[in-house]
Amino acid sequence: MSNSPMVVVLSGSMEPAFQRGDILFLWNREQYLDVGDIIVYKTTVRDVPIVHRIVREHIVEEKGKKRTTRKTQKLLTKGDNNQGDDLPLYRYGQNYLDREKDILGSVKGYVPKVGYVTILITENQYFKYAIVGLLALSALFNQE
Amino acid sequence: MFSLSQRLQDISGFMTTTIFVMAVVISVVSIVQLNLSGYQSLPGDITVNDTHNSIRYSRNYGGKSGHGKENVKLRFDLDADLTPLFNWNTKQVFVYLVGEYDGPEKGDLKQSEEHSKVIFWDHIIPDASHAKLSLRNKKSKYSVYDYYPVLSNRTASVKLEFNVQPWVGPLIWGTLDATDEVRFHDPKSKN
Repeated sequence: MSNSPMVVVLSGSMEPAFQRGDILFLWNREQYLDVGDIIVYKTTVRDVPIVHRIVREHIVEEKGKKRTTRKTQKLLTKGDNNQGDDLPLYRYGQNYLDREKDILGSVKGYVPKVGYVTILITENQYFKYAIVGLLALSALFNQE
Repeated sequence: MFSLSQRLQDISGFMTTTIFVMAVVISVVSIVQLNLSGYQSLPGDITVNDTHNSIRYSRNYGGKSGHGKENVKLRFDLDADLTPLFNWNTKQVFVYLVGEYDGPEKGDLKQSEEHSKVIFWDHIIPDASHAKLSLRNKKSKYSVYDYYPVLSNRTASVKLEFNVQPWVGPLIWGTLDATDEVRFHDPKSKN
């Protein structure tokens, strides 16, 4: 899992806002996120990062170590194109995402379609072979 | 020097540069245009008509068996004209009705800094011809529960926020110039 500032959309759950293959630019410096932000998060249940919108945020005081309290933000997310919220995607017993632990970044900018090459390479083996073949051919016919 | 692969590389390099420059120019021009249309101060009107509170026990409503959570629904009127948000680089506008409230009071010495913001209703506006919103006694889309079990007797300020989604460029967020206050009732007692 890399913390890259760019991510390619892999699912259609945010359509029509984001389609498969769109490239998103991420930022992850804010202390708290806001409702309406579109965030990228990971859960232990699934390997792929998920891009969904925040529908609820709660800034709460959590009990930390040695009777201290820690202020943290709890988030609930939902895909714009999904009927219900993301509770079924979270791990067993988890009701909220944690701002510090689970979030890879929030989406600030957007370029359509350019990332579709990534999807072709990872999901279509013939495309991968074609590219490797082309590279091999061009190496053979190279005169330098 | 003039091999096939060299030519391909030149072309793809030129294409990448062109696409990148175009994307930057488009996003800058459309942001300037959006600012000129005054998107930060759009007039509107929000009225919350009534709220309904019930205790739910299933996980989808925040509860556990034996530990219920108060779920709040509401009905509201909304008038807004979001046409200024649409220009040639607007793909869609996502509007959402939020309620903001502070955490439960914990005795008078320690002021709670807890804060919450929840979406009651949202809607995707696909184009400018659907951007005039006029809703009467609209039901909230979501059954809202808090991080803590109890929501009753807390006061929330209700606003309409929006997220402008461009074809290319940065995402933009804003708030409608309208607000209403609502106090959540005790469970099972309808307004």
